[in-house]
Amino acid sequence: MRHTLNVAFVLLALLVLALPAAAQEGGIVVRGNAGADPTAFDPLLTNETVTSDIQALIFPDLLSVDPATASIVNGPGPNALATGWELSEDGLTYTFSLREDMYWTDGEQINADDVMFVWDFIQSGAVPTHLSFVADEIANVEKIDDFTIAVSFAEADCDAINSIGSLEPYPSHIAPEDLTTMPDQEFNQNLYVSSGPYTFGEVRPAESISLLANPDYVDADLGYVNNDAFVLLNVPDLTVMVERFLAGELSIISGPQEARRAEIYAAEEEGRVQIYTYPGNSWDYLAFNLADPANPQNATDEDGNPIDQGMHPVFGSTEVGRDVRRALNLALDVDDIIERATFGEGTRMASHLVPASWAFDPTIDPVPHDPAMAAQMLTDAGWVNSDPDDPTSVRVCQGCATAEDGTEMRFVLNTNEENARRTAIITIAQEAWDQIGVKAEIQTLEWGSYLEKLFTQTLDAYVIGWRNGYPDRPDATQLFTPASDVVGGCSNCMSYNNPEFTALNEQARILPGCSVDERKAIYAEAQRIIQADTPYIFMFVRNGFYAAGSEVNGFDPFPSQLLWNVDTWSITQ
Amino acid sequence: MCRLQRGAHKHMTKFVIRRMLQAIPTLFGISILVYAIMLATPGGPVAALTFSPDVTPQERAALAAQLGINDPWYVQYLRWLLGDDWMRFDSDGDGIADTAYLIPLDADGDGQPEPPGKRRGILRGDFGSSFYHGRRHVIEVIFERLGATFELGAASLVVGLTIGIPVGVLAAVNRGGPFDNFTRIVSVIFNAFPVFWLGLILLLIFGGTGLGLLPMGNRCGLVLVGGCPPFYQRLEYLVLPTFVIAAGFLAVYSRFMRASVLDVGTQDYIRTARAKGLSGRMVWFRHGLRNALIPIATLLGPSVTGVLSGAVVTENIFSWPGVGRLAVSSLQQRDYPTVMAIVMLASITTILGYLLSDMLYALIDPRIRLR
Repeated sequence: MRHTLNVAFVLLALLVLALPAAAQEGGIVVRGNAGADPTAFDPLLTNETVTSDIQALIFPDLLSVDPATASIVNGPGPNALATGWELSEDGLTYTFSLREDMYWTDGEQINADDVMFVWDFIQSGAVPTHLSFVADEIANVEKIDDFTIAVSFAEADCDAINSIGSLEPYPSHIAPEDLTTMPDQEFNQNLYVSSGPYTFGEVRPAESISLLANPDYVDADLGYVNNDAFVLLNVPDLTVMVERFLAGELSIISGPQEARRAEIYAAEEEGRVQIYTYPGNSWDYLAFNLADPANPQNATDEDGNPIDQGMHPVFGSTEVGRDVRRALNLALDVDDIIERATFGEGTRMASHLVPASWAFDPTIDPVPHDPAMAAQMLTDAGWVNSDPDDPTSVRVCQGCATAEDGTEMRFVLNTNEENARRTAIITIAQEAWDQIGVKAEIQTLEWGSYLEKLFTQTLDAYVIGWRNGYPDRPDATQLFTPASDVVGGCSNCMSYNNPEFTALNEQARILPGCSVDERKAIYAEAQRIIQADTPYIFMFVRNGFYAAGSEVNGFDPFPSQLLWNVDTWSITQ
Repeated sequence: MCRLQRGAHKHMTKFVIRRMLQAIPTLFGISILVYAIMLATPGGPVAALTFSPDVTPQERAALAAQLGINDPWYVQYLRWLLGDDWMRFDSDGDGIADTAYLIPLDADGDGQPEPPGKRRGILRGDFGSSFYHGRRHVIEVIFERLGATFELGAASLVVGLTIGIPVGVLAAVNRGGPFDNFTRIVSVIFNAFPVFWLGLILLLIFGGTGLGLLPMGNRCGLVLVGGCPPFYQRLEYLVLPTFVIAAGFLAVYSRFMRASVLDVGTQDYIRTARAKGLSGRMVWFRHGLRNALIPIATLLGPSVTGVLSGAVVTENIFSWPGVGRLAVSSLQQRDYPTVMAIVMLASITTILGYLLSDMLYALIDPRIRLR
């Protein structure tokens, strides 16, 4: 009897061992990458889009971000080192508590030293880094103890937390003493120490990067990473990328050309593909130069005193020529532009805030299409048709506020030549304006040459785009205030300067208590002002587009967050 | 006989040395010219590196100072040529730069001296660090792609030569016949097809969305670690890109060879051979072919250059990780150190290619004597 019980016990134990609570489903996730050819990966030295994607999968964050709302969370989160923060009464110092259960893959514990190292590196200036802006925004970072750090600012800033998020932990124990040698270290090509859902596999330059499931990932949603590996396969030609996706060689793609999306939608109807679209964070606009392009000047001198920047002979300045710019906006059918330039894959914008932004105000309507009103407004503003019987005849100044009488309403409209979407936009704008007697000569320039002209503020009008960051930051200091109206290095390259807008933007940025509702109301007012001033014709955000093969299980993205739950994905073989 | 060979060998060595010495001022001239053109090109790396709404003008200015692109052109050229470890250095050994020539100690105006210069310049074997690629040494970035470029280029050249030459000979032998007319049409078509079109069409026909016979790109299948296997174990990945590049070689070599063979066919020694009663096959393949091959040697130099400089469009379509793609992206990004390194390597390859061509010519054609 006893012998039988022993045997039964052993058999039972073997059965339990043979049946683990759960099992990895496996498979390799293959993502098509049409961006740059990354060959360097040190997170302190490079932040190309592709490299950042890789880093996000194998390094921890400092702060937790809610993928659904794109907002930073004051609390713990997956793969985030900080468990939360306390803000000092003066609103200048954030004190962060750090987790004690996170380790690098070589066994070293992740602690405050790994955050402090990043701050020290940025301050050293040893190697040019994309993180140098952090030193401008943060006053000091202090290690309180191994699991507590304090970050101080010179002034209260409601967006400060975004800057702190850039201090992502770095394996300081493998860093060289001489920081200037960091680009030459093996770690720049092979991230052999990491801490995240994946570990670094290998890079085949300009071809692929493989990441291997990290069996020790502590925050895995299922308790383990549910796939074997993640491979980023470089497919530089976008047409080929779609073909390879449809052929099943790629598990997921993002941002395929708008012209090819219809085929992917068709594949979705056949059940071969899963798709997720959303109003993205990349937006196109048409900007007017609001200063004299023949004599570009900074907005202010070294002492902060305003400099006379003159005005553009057609578009005027911020205060002068609003009606002209508004009329040019009314003359454009932006919905038609979205249809023709993006195959309908865009979402209208009403101001500088993208629809996905928390500060976006949906009650502000986009500028409508009304060419008749546009023509009338131009006439009222002193720009009349040279042939009164021909509404398409070139308009000339007769009492206009920005040029001498007799000046024809002609200007150059630029964009970058390698971008078919923007080339379509300027072509459609030229056609539309021609109908009301506004003559735009369109020119396309090579990207580098284009940026040169843009930064030197010698363009009349131009079409280009911005891509907002993640998490979103509605502050417009760099885009629309004199602070960044500097010839040769501007973001406010069209010299927009409305003190009321600047004040509202600043008010929202440093609002005591940082109430979201109050800030949202302030930003709404700023949006109305900038729409009325029309330094840009705000056009559209490009719709974000993620597609996965039907074999991918767990595909459940949020805007700008394709891979937030990739540790739960598996591939049906 | 032995003395003759030794004499020819001596002449050849002198010829090669002379050409190498002549190459030095040529390369020097190329470097100045290309550097000047590059700096004169509108746009710069800072604009491309910092085109973001979050970057302040001050940060852009600081980056420009750190990269040294605001220095006068001759200082930038000297830095590239001779390095900057003598321009800004630490004379008292405390690790902080305290002496500077030609460039400021505090380039970005933050009140602190920049780190001592570390570049040694191309004359001391340092091609510099890329403005991108995590500031890695450009020569490393280039060399890790040379293998792929060489693999594709060599395969295309071999296919072009081994098929193009026999086709040209057969077309000449059957002058005016169906084969000649057929190959003429095919070569015109191959020459006329844009590479991007031919590549895409082949990919659609033979790739996964078509017949599914061949892979749609890259050098090998999914490999998590360990790199691609040797090329003979992944020949299927070479087929389409090789054919696209070789199509051009095929067209050129076959037509060139045909013309050359026809030219040789009118020579007196061919008539003599015929008069001696040799068969047509003996006449063409024993006497005609070797002499007809001589002009092909002149094509080899430029071909080698073409092979190593990469095939940008083909590399893009077939996701082939070659130098051509790197060259184009570096130009677009104004990555001056990488552009200069690629140009210099391409220049050296070109000079060596033409030297090889001249040496082959002398070896094949007994009428040519190197002096």
